[in-house]
Amino acid sequence: MNREEFIYLYDGSFTNLLNLCILLIKKRIIPLNIKSEEYQPNLLEEVIKLDCTETINVEEFVRLFSKRIFKTIYYLFISNDINKELIIYYFLIHSLKYKDKIYYMRNLKSVAKALKIEKYVGRENHKFKGFLRFKELENNVLYAEINPENNILFILSKHFETRLANEYFIIKDVGRKILSVYDKKNIYIVSEDEFLPITNLSTNEKFIQDLWKSFYKTIGIKERKNNRCRMNFMPKKYWKYIIEVSDEK
Amino acid sequence: MNLKEKLTILADSAKYDASCSSSGSKNRQNKIGNTNVAGICHSFSSDGRCISLLKILMTNCCIFDCKYCLNRRSNSIKRACFTPEEVCELVINFYRRNYIEGLFLSSGIIKSPDYTMNLMIEAISLLRNKYHFGGYIHAKAIPGASEALLKRLGNLVDRLSANVELPTETGLKLLAPNKDNEKVSKIMNYVKNNKSRRFVPAGQSTQMIIGATRESDLDIMNKSENMYNSYHLKRVFYSAYIPVNSDKMLPTIKKPPLVRENRLYQADWLLRFYNFKVNDILDKDNPNFNLLLDPKADWALRHLNEFPKEINKASYNDLLKIPGIGITSAKRIVSSRRYFKITFNDLSKMGIVLKRAKYFITCDGKYFTDINFFKKSFIERNLVLEDKVKDDTKKIEQLVLFNE
Ligand code: SF4
Repeated sequence: MNREEFIYLYDGSFTNLLNLCILLIKKRIIPLNIKSEEYQPNLLEEVIKLDCTETINVEEFVRLFSKRIFKTIYYLFISNDINKELIIYYFLIHSLKYKDKIYYMRNLKSVAKALKIEKYVGRENHKFKGFLRFKELENNVLYAEINPENNILFILSKHFETRLANEYFIIKDVGRKILSVYDKKNIYIVSEDEFLPITNLSTNEKFIQDLWKSFYKTIGIKERKNNRCRMNFMPKKYWKYIIEVSDEK
Repeated sequence: MNLKEKLTILADSAKYDASCSSSGSKNRQNKIGNTNVAGICHSFSSDGRCISLLKILMTNCCIFDCKYCLNRRSNSIKRACFTPEEVCELVINFYRRNYIEGLFLSSGIIKSPDYTMNLMIEAISLLRNKYHFGGYIHAKAIPGASEALLKRLGNLVDRLSANVELPTETGLKLLAPNKDNEKVSKIMNYVKNNKSRRFVPAGQSTQMIIGATRESDLDIMNKSENMYNSYHLKRVFYSAYIPVNSDKMLPTIKKPPLVRENRLYQADWLLRFYNFKVNDILDKDNPNFNLLLDPKADWALRHLNEFPKEINKASYNDLLKIPGIGITSAKRIVSSRRYFKITFNDLSKMGIVLKRAKYFITCDGKYFTDINFFKKSFIERNLVLEDKVKDDTKKIEQLVLFNE
């Protein structure tokens, strides 16, 4: 393979990135880096955009690699790691060679790194499955705000789709200014400015919150008080949206 | 009495029960709610315990007078009783807002065991059938209730369990004169023998109070091992005794025995997942755990002739015996070493924590330091020191059972 001193650009979407990676691998190009097209290069960097006309879709990709590998790549893509594109590229190269055995090849640096990021994203998603708090709005819709480090909005919403299949819900990623909307059939991801303002809370909402807060206070055993331990499991960064602790100092 | 006041009273009375996990049920789905194979913690209380279920009593009225219990007949405290509708209202409203994974429902004994169970069944069947709730439910069976009621309740819940409370019959006679072991065994037997798929899919568990009576750790672990074998229990929970009543039969203690409780959980883990037997870790000459070291490290130091183990050769079972190596790590080692020879550096890349393990292993023949240091005194000193440092920063990881 020849090393080229270019940064390759993709349009920011997952499928475009996959296709770019596959194209680069086919052409035996080792990119200096891969970035989304919003990237601002410095003076010494040269960026290039390839024409990916021959594209494959997600199903073909899964067939080419495997479901497991697809999941890893997707988790990498939604992570906040600044070099995720390059890590995906290297992970794909190794995947072509080792297939699912790649999961035992943690002695390879890029594989170890990729699996670490995958786990980190999965863990954050799992935390939010527990820590997310819905509020009930006037129109019976459930509404929650989160502020995750990785872009987990969609996979998290998938969890609530099965759990609350018969409810309307909206989850807002405050940092990324995007929302997921579930209408009892599908999940839509929309940006904040395409969205109507949230209505008032339902009349019952304060009452229920109040019940939950008093349950929370009661359930702790004072003889076993252990704030360190609590903080380990429920770090401060989550507190803002966890109603039972958000007003604690 | 308003709902908030009831909730406060009936959660306060339920909080001493240690069981909380919501995992292990088959996937169920209903109009509202499902169960998740991996347990989800929704919050952590001020004592650092996971909150996953709405843990409440149906009522704290009780005709019994167990010495250690807040709800005993002879205490003059405020009494309350939920209506079935109130239980449903709480569960559904909390569940929709993602506060909880489901319900843990226990109860004091009001009027009679059958009467109490009927009340619980009424609440839970309303929840399942009228509100179509598909989330997790753990109910406590009331000892002495009829089999017909056990069957009905078992078909509605994910987990059904009865607490043995004290490890020996003598202890029970002393502190819970109205209770007897036989009634609890009867429930456990019934749950074990009902093979219907819809019946208690997440299995049964039990709880023992630690430090209210004089049993040794060996007595307690023997009881656990025995119950795991005879009733296929999913879990035994250990609950450090916390004095809420004063009674001449009860010990006077300043602080609940939390370290001891933690050691019991660690040992319990070794029984269930690491192929240890009680006899390996405790015996008549050492009937109690070393409070300074976790049971696995303690065992390893007493069997140092079996170490250091070579990471590239040791069998899966042998890998599990290494302090600091858990199931995930052991599996990862076994599947990776087919493809390459593992070095210390690789272990770190594989995400395996070496803090404790390094003293007990070699990688490709190499020890992490001069092999002459491989001595009991050196290792013990370092392990204890590490734990001390941890204690100093007060980072007692109550619920993380091993550092792996
Ligand atoms: S039976 Fe005993 S332990 Fe249970 S509530 Fe009544 S007094 Fe308490």
